[in-house]
Amino acid sequence: MSGPLTGVRGIVLTQAWAGTYCTELLAMAGADIIQLEVRKRPDSWRGTYTTPMADAVSKVPTAEHAWNVNALFNSVNLGKRSFTVDLSTPEGLELYRALVPFADIVAENFSPRVMGNLGLSYEELKAIKPDVILASLSAYGHEGPWANVPGIGGTIEPTSGMSALLGYPDGPPMNSGQMYPDAVAGLYGFASLVTALHHRDRTGEGQYVDLSMQEANLANIGDSALQEELLGEQRPRLGNRNLTFAPHGIYEVQPTSEGARQWIALAAEDEVQWSALCAVAGLGWDADARFAGNASRKQHEDDLDRAIAAWAGAEERDALADRVLAAGGLAAPVLDAIEVAEDPVLRARGVMVELDHPEAGRWPQVGAPFHFSRTPVQVERPAPTQGQHSREVFREFLDMSDERYDELVAKNITGEGPPD
Amino acid sequence: MRALTNGAARERRLASVATEASQHAESALHGVQVLDVSSSMAGAWCSRLFADFGADVTVVEAPSGHPLRAHEPRTEDGRAVAAEHALANKRSLALDLDAEPGRELLRDLVTQVDVLVESFAPGTLAGWGLDYDTLKTLHPELVVVSLTPHGQDGAYAALPGNNLTASARSGWAATNGFADQPPLQATQYQSGYCAGVLAYGAAVAALHERGDAGGEGQHLDISEFEVMASTFAPGLLRAQYAGGNIARKEGMDVTGGPVPVADGHFALTLSRAHFYRDAMNVLGLDDLSEDEQLQEGWYRNSHRELWVDRVHTAMAGWSRQDLFDELGVRRVVAGPVFAMNELNENEHLRDRGFWSRADDDLEGPEHSGAPVKLSGSPWRLRYRAPRVGEHTVAILGEYDIEEERVHTLLEAGVLAAEVNELTGSPR
Repeated sequence: MSGPLTGVRGIVLTQAWAGTYCTELLAMAGADIIQLEVRKRPDSWRGTYTTPMADAVSKVPTAEHAWNVNALFNSVNLGKRSFTVDLSTPEGLELYRALVPFADIVAENFSPRVMGNLGLSYEELKAIKPDVILASLSAYGHEGPWANVPGIGGTIEPTSGMSALLGYPDGPPMNSGQMYPDAVAGLYGFASLVTALHHRDRTGEGQYVDLSMQEANLANIGDSALQEELLGEQRPRLGNRNLTFAPHGIYEVQPTSEGARQWIALAAEDEVQWSALCAVAGLGWDADARFAGNASRKQHEDDLDRAIAAWAGAEERDALADRVLAAGGLAAPVLDAIEVAEDPVLRARGVMVELDHPEAGRWPQVGAPFHFSRTPVQVERPAPTQGQHSREVFREFLDMSDERYDELVAKNITGEGPPD
Repeated sequence: MRALTNGAARERRLASVATEASQHAESALHGVQVLDVSSSMAGAWCSRLFADFGADVTVVEAPSGHPLRAHEPRTEDGRAVAAEHALANKRSLALDLDAEPGRELLRDLVTQVDVLVESFAPGTLAGWGLDYDTLKTLHPELVVVSLTPHGQDGAYAALPGNNLTASARSGWAATNGFADQPPLQATQYQSGYCAGVLAYGAAVAALHERGDAGGEGQHLDISEFEVMASTFAPGLLRAQYAGGNIARKEGMDVTGGPVPVADGHFALTLSRAHFYRDAMNVLGLDDLSEDEQLQEGWYRNSHRELWVDRVHTAMAGWSRQDLFDELGVRRVVAGPVFAMNELNENEHLRDRGFWSRADDDLEGPEHSGAPVKLSGSPWRLRYRAPRVGEHTVAILGEYDIEEERVHTLLEAGVLAAEVNELTGSPR
């Protein structure tokens, strides 16, 4: 690792997606992120201990434990180490407290009451490590009337205003295909922790970071909020359209030879891109008065969409995208997950990586989304198996003997898999 | 010589915001100087977060105005909502970078700042002699943040892109929307906001690594396409492990998002066994609550015919608030679909002080507030969005640009300023 956060350590209690993505971004920027897991209540993104394995991964000979080969967990915990501690026992809690002095950062996304109940509130952590930075990511934040209302990505999407904006123009409000609000919260969690680190560099002081997923997501659609405030109107659901530019859509093209439906994104944000599209289509749109200038195209967008759809329907996706792009237009094939994994640019730029996971084997997956010129980042560790580094972590920081470690395993305070 | 001048100018700039500084010295990024020459939401949001956490941010825009100022919708007096939001908390310097004297001026400014945010097509800055390698020799401490649709290198680098194409290429759209309708892009500007916040965090990490004592900056390359791919990471690996793609939703279904209730739509995400049991009890579906097999989430998802339609029917009679309250006391995750006017009045957000007016525009609109609360170095909205060139003269004074040069560039139209700023009086 040579990332800009080399030398920073987080000993974190993050789980599911929002918290783990936040700390994964720190890890991918070079921080040493050591994730605590609780065997009695496994990370929901590992599944329950009885969740079956997915088809393809189940055929990998080393895939032994379903909770270690869950795609969700393994996709958002790159670059980390994992250790297990039973925090419900005094001995386990003492182990965690003994590690806190080694942490610059603690992050967690339990329900708001959990850390306080464990005796791991910010004040309590600060007593152990005066300049510690603690970030709590929760559904609605740690203060306010809804502080204890539970929520996850799928319910924050509607309560943050995001669902009301997402959908087809004539359709209902929708949730995204993934639990996108978690990712948004993770991005802001990452940004806020780095901000707190910078503040500590300057002042020597740690601080408490209270991230409400509802607020982070609402901030990420702040222009829609301001539209309501300035114009007194709810922004409509746009489908694939844009408030300003036309054309702007996703159009069906010829199916694959196996009959799978295919789609292409086509748009024009200026007259150069519009002319390019007209030239490739060769149907005289550039001479059509309805389509002269963006304002007129926007006004006649239904007609425009019909014309483009009728033309694109006979075309082949990748060839059409290539022609429009070569002409200077704006286009992109709509790729599915399996295709994205093969994307040559993601691979060439080191964003799509393949790492050998001890149980799941080797698969393409998305790594670090940032490129630093002088401190380049290189994701080297796959997601850890549950408790993979328990012995290593206790030895490294607490100088623990093998005998003591085995004793803790026998007492179920650490170890792997379902507790006895 | 340069260092002395810069140091003096820097001190003067800090002093020029002295009142503000004494009040908000706790800002995490107090003293950090940022120039934003970008033209996208991604760049604007990146520098907006710098400003929100205390940096001094100048938006360098063409005399014709930042491109976001031309986006719809607009107020009656022609102000674009997106610009009012994303350019807030910054000061405006109107400068024509298509003219060589404009680029010369930018070069003189860049050597005095900590961070340059840009979104030009890759190669543009190099064509002007302002590429990172050149800037680094002039000013080694500089952090340059490049935010583009597809990154600085690779086969897509020169291609245009936006939120639609990032959604299409990243896998995001293919799983979003309904199966019998087209794939659906992320909501407008999402690739911009997400790239902006990631770039902000990464740039602050670069400042952390640089340190204050003459450390080296670096060039940060962020691609909107890659950021959206990053937010799609779970879906991508899920398809790999499953051996096939994940289809879009078949239709409105409680397992995939909001469904109709009496006064709107409501999401009930039954991700844990007790959520399911308690929700079925609240909905009066006791037999479903007690069904042994349906306790397991994976079993419920593969046997939807056993329960989903009945849940929809039961939910249809409830109001959003009653259902949210009943489920909330049982600690079941649930979520009513809220419109913006409802969120603006929301008691919880009000109690937390989320909605915020700019300190210098207390009669102005309320903006969405802190995306995250930092106890020791809080987010703060100090300024409303500037008018084009509102601070041109004042800013150039702070950067020690000679008055004569400023007036020459103003007359040539390379600079633009508001008339009342010609005296150079600070804001």
